[in-house]
Amino acid sequence: MNYFTMTYPFLIFLGGSTKLLYLSIKEFFKGKVEKDLVIEQVYQVGIKSLPVVLVTTGFIGMVMALQFGIGLAKFGGKLYIPKIISLSIVRELGPVFASIMISARVGSGMTSEIGSMRVTEQIDAIRALGASPIAKIVLPRVLGCFIALPVLTAFANTIGILGGLLVGSNDLGLDPNYYFQKVLSTINVADYMSGFMKCFFFSFLVSVPACYFGLNVKGGTKGVGIATTKTVVTSCIAILIGDYFLTKLFWVIEKWL
Amino acid sequence: MALIEIKNFKKSFQGHDVHKDINLSIFSGECLGIIGGSGVGKSVLLKSLIGLIKPDDGQVLFKNQDITKLNEDELVEVRKKIAYVFQNGALFDSLSVYENLAYPLKEHTMMTEQDIYQKIYKTLDEFGVLNAINKYPAELSGGMQKRVGLARSIIMDPEVILYDEPTAGLDPYNTKIIQETIIKLKNKNVTSIFVTHDMPSAFAVCDRIAFLNQGVVAAVSDVKEITNNNDNEISAFAKGLRP
Repeated sequence: MNYFTMTYPFLIFLGGSTKLLYLSIKEFFKGKVEKDLVIEQVYQVGIKSLPVVLVTTGFIGMVMALQFGIGLAKFGGKLYIPKIISLSIVRELGPVFASIMISARVGSGMTSEIGSMRVTEQIDAIRALGASPIAKIVLPRVLGCFIALPVLTAFANTIGILGGLLVGSNDLGLDPNYYFQKVLSTINVADYMSGFMKCFFFSFLVSVPACYFGLNVKGGTKGVGIATTKTVVTSCIAILIGDYFLTKLFWVIEKWL
Repeated sequence: MALIEIKNFKKSFQGHDVHKDINLSIFSGECLGIIGGSGVGKSVLLKSLIGLIKPDDGQVLFKNQDITKLNEDELVEVRKKIAYVFQNGALFDSLSVYENLAYPLKEHTMMTEQDIYQKIYKTLDEFGVLNAINKYPAELSGGMQKRVGLARSIIMDPEVILYDEPTAGLDPYNTKIIQETIIKLKNKNVTSIFVTHDMPSAFAVCDRIAFLNQGVVAAVSDVKEITNNNDNEISAFAKGLRP
C-alpha cells in the first residue's frame, strides 16, 4: 500500500464533507431552514443526550479529584485541587468529552438513520419529489448540533466541577466553601470562552462527518454499519486534533488580547 | 414529436459499461415498457430521466431541454412534472402516510392545510388505502406501501410517471389495482415509462416495449409484436421462456 492509496479516501472525505458544509451554509442563507426539523434535532442532540454527557463529565471531575488528591497530598498540594479541576474541565475536558459523547451517541445515530434512508431510496425520493436532502436532512442536523452542543457543554462544565467538589469534600476533606471560592477566583471569562468557543467548531466535526458518511453509504445494511463506525472514529479523531489547533489559536488570541 | 428523447446515453460503474449507447424516444400520452434481464440497467436509465443519476455521456431531452446539464435547483421544475414511483415505495418512515403525501404539496404549492387534507383524502380513497391515512409505513403491507408510494407520486398531477417495477412482489389483487391505476392515468393522457419483469402487467398496460440488452436498446416494438420478434432471446424473454 503506497501513500496515495492511504491518503486518497481521506482526501475524498475531506473534499466531500467540505462541500457538504458549504452546501448546508448555502441552504441556510437561502432561508431554507425548517424550524420544526431543527427543533427536533435540538431535542435529539440536546435533551436526549444530557444524561449521558452529565454522567460522563461528572465522573471525570470525580476521578480527577481523586487522582490529584492522592498525588498532590504527598506534596501538601491538595488545596490546588479546585484550581486544577476547574481549569481543566472548563478549558478542555468539558467541551472535548461532551463533543466526543455527542459523536458517539448522536453522530452514530445520524449516520445509521441517513444511511438507512439511503439504502431504502428515501434520499432519492426526497430528490425525486423536488426537495433538497441538504435542506431536509443535513442542515437541521448541523444546526441542531450547533445550537445544542454549547448548551450541553455548559452543563458538562458545571457537573464536572461539582463532581470534583463531591469527592473533594467527602474523600479529601476540602471545605465546600473554599472549593467554590477557589473555582470562582480561578476561572476568568477568557478561560471559559476558550473552552466554550471550541464547541461551535466541534459541532461541525460531529454533524458533518455523520451526514457525509450516511449520505455515502454503499453496500446495503453492512455499509450502514461500516459508515457508522467511520463516523465515530473520524469525529473523535477530528475533535482531538481540532482541539489541539483551537487551543493553540485561543492561546495566541489570549496573549494578543 | 417525442416528449422525452434519450440520445447516445452512456453510463458505466467501476469500469463496467452498463449503457453503451442508448437511443430511445417516448411520445406524449403513451406507456412505454422497458424490459430486460437483471442488471442491464433499467432502473439506472429510469433514474437518469429525472436527473437522479447523471450519464457519463449523451443527452436526456425532456421537451427539448437537456436535463443532464441541469443542476439540482434547476431539476426541481422537471421533477414537478416527472414523478418517480420507487420499487419499494421509498416512503419516509419517520412520517405518517398523510405526511408522506403532504410532503410534495407543502414543498411546491401554497395550498391550505384544508385543501391538502381534501386532496390527500381523495387520492388515498381512489387507491383504496384511506384506512392507512394515519399509519406509518412500517405498519403497512408491501402492497399498501406501493399503493401509497404511487399515490404520493401522482399527487402533484405530473405529466410523466416513471414506474420502477411497481408490481414486483405483489399478489394478483394488488397487481391488478396497480395495473388499473396506470391505465386510468394513461387515459388521462399521462405519459408512463414502466420498468418491469412482470410481462403480463407489461402486456396489460404498455403501448410499446423496449428491450435492453448488452448496453443498447435491442428492440422497440408494439406490445403485440414483441413476442414475435425475430431475435429468439427477445421473443423468449417476452414469453417468459428460456431462449
